[in-house]
Amino acid sequence: MGKDFHSMEMRFVYGETLNELIEQNPNVMCLEADLSKASGTNPTVSSRHPANFLNIGVAEANMIGIGAGLASEGKVPFCASFTCFATRRVYDQVTISVAYANMNVKIVGTAPGITAGPNGGTHMCFQDLAIMRAMPNMHVYSPCDALELRSVMRYMAASRQPTYMQLIRSKVPKIFDAEHAFDPNKAVVLREGRDVTLVSTGYMTQFAVAVVDELARAGVSVELLHYPSVKPFDAATLVASAQKTRGVVTVENQNIIGGLGGAACEVLSEQCPTRVKRLGVPNQFGEVASEQYLFDKHGFGPKQIADACRRIAAERKTK
Amino acid sequence: MDKTTTQPAFDRAEFDQMAAEWRYIMTDMICRAGSGHLGGAFSLVEIVMTLYCRIMRTDPANPRWDERDRLVLSKGHAAPVLYLALAYQGFFPMAWLKTLNADGTKLPSHADARYVPGIDMTTGSLGQGLSCACGAAHAARLDGKKHRVFCIIGDGESNEGQNWEAAMFAGHHKLDNLVAITDYNKLQIDDFTDTLLSLEPLCDKWRAFGWEVFEMDGHDWDAIYKTINAAIAVRGKPAMIIAHTIKAKGCCLVENKPESHNIKVPDQATYDKFLNSLTAKATLPY
Repeated sequence: MGKDFHSMEMRFVYGETLNELIEQNPNVMCLEADLSKASGTNPTVSSRHPANFLNIGVAEANMIGIGAGLASEGKVPFCASFTCFATRRVYDQVTISVAYANMNVKIVGTAPGITAGPNGGTHMCFQDLAIMRAMPNMHVYSPCDALELRSVMRYMAASRQPTYMQLIRSKVPKIFDAEHAFDPNKAVVLREGRDVTLVSTGYMTQFAVAVVDELARAGVSVELLHYPSVKPFDAATLVASAQKTRGVVTVENQNIIGGLGGAACEVLSEQCPTRVKRLGVPNQFGEVASEQYLFDKHGFGPKQIADACRRIAAERKTK
Repeated sequence: MDKTTTQPAFDRAEFDQMAAEWRYIMTDMICRAGSGHLGGAFSLVEIVMTLYCRIMRTDPANPRWDERDRLVLSKGHAAPVLYLALAYQGFFPMAWLKTLNADGTKLPSHADARYVPGIDMTTGSLGQGLSCACGAAHAARLDGKKHRVFCIIGDGESNEGQNWEAAMFAGHHKLDNLVAITDYNKLQIDDFTDTLLSLEPLCDKWRAFGWEVFEMDGHDWDAIYKTINAAIAVRGKPAMIIAHTIKAKGCCLVENKPESHNIKVPDQATYDKFLNSLTAKATLPY
């Protein structure tokens, strides 16, 4: 009987999985910038594989550069920090030393969006999906549960692709019963439906699943597409679903500008013009608050997802 | 294949002649392009030539040779001098040189490992190269490899805080396979470094970060060779060489002037003026 990863905090799944990847390929490395306990790699990785563990100190720019240097010598560095520091703080370093130079560096942003919780507005990064997606050569992933995280990490370690991944730190509900072969070019159809399409990624997928199952009981048939990869973005699956339902709701733990909703709108406006409602943070900064407070304030919690799905489904039926 | 064989004996007259050629060719390359970073490439001629022709182990036939010494030109805008070194070593045809910044060129204004055989790290956004060099040096140490990692940073570039993050890292981890050189030509884009943002006391700064520090005249063949070898021999800490240089050395039109950083050559008359202002003439190899 294997380990029950669903019962673990995601950060510890990250650490355990890194250990496995290091044991399979000694070139895999774990880089941290003084947040290794928050990332779940200290002591999980630091004690088991000290030579593969490198704590750079509170110097994220240096971490990215060192990661690029290590990658130039064949190492596969996973560089983790809070989402705000792993992306927006080091945007030029990632752009030039990693993406432009096409270095095989894996960047991991922990505590994405409102999950930064008590650290509040300064630490709540709502734009990482958007800014990392706008970077040529960069792949952008956001796994939704423990087993998908492991699949995504396995793919990252094997690929030669500069990659950014959001890492939820806390325990999250099980979505997948078994590890699936992650394919960045494929969205996952979690629920089939006909009245409206709901598109989610990362942290929001657990809420999306619950909402869709509840709406099904109420007679609203929602097709749920989960995007573990926001870039590349699987256009075909979205277009096929939109052609069927003719209405789309997107939900993400991000600013609604430029992230998952942005990607969906880009595809639909060019390939299948469709009514879309984007849910997420409407172009505002975060603040110290509970999840429920932030969901209600910004309008992207389970209640608002359900309302939007019902509304779009009803609109479609009256046309 | 043994790449550790002794380099050919040093012939001062030959090196003087080659330095003059490099400056002449770089001027032609930059003038053809219509503009370019002349000053900071000229200040590095003797240093880069000594590295590639007398010190570094490389294999032009196999640019990614695993045991080669690495060079990160963090001040990536000095790429023309690196292109000269690589072309003279045979990493790519001399004819490429005249394509600097031309449409579809393999030789862009800033050092680019994606296009140019022999370049170990893509640079251009100042302040990032020393971190990359630290990563490469750390990887070599993890793998028990014996090659050296060199990194050249600029004095203006030293304003960037990331250098000092890397300095702290290299000092803490005692990266003694790393030799860095500061091209201290005392000029940055807008003004003299002492006027704009003084680096002094520069040697003390690096010493305080745990580095062994050397100073040298960056245009004196013997001093360069001796100092780099002394820096390579340092054990237990990284080495920084503060190279005192003259920006645009050998081009009297702009030598030691801020405007040498990125010269503009809009017409034939300016082109002629620049070529005529060089202290020595040479023939173009393309």
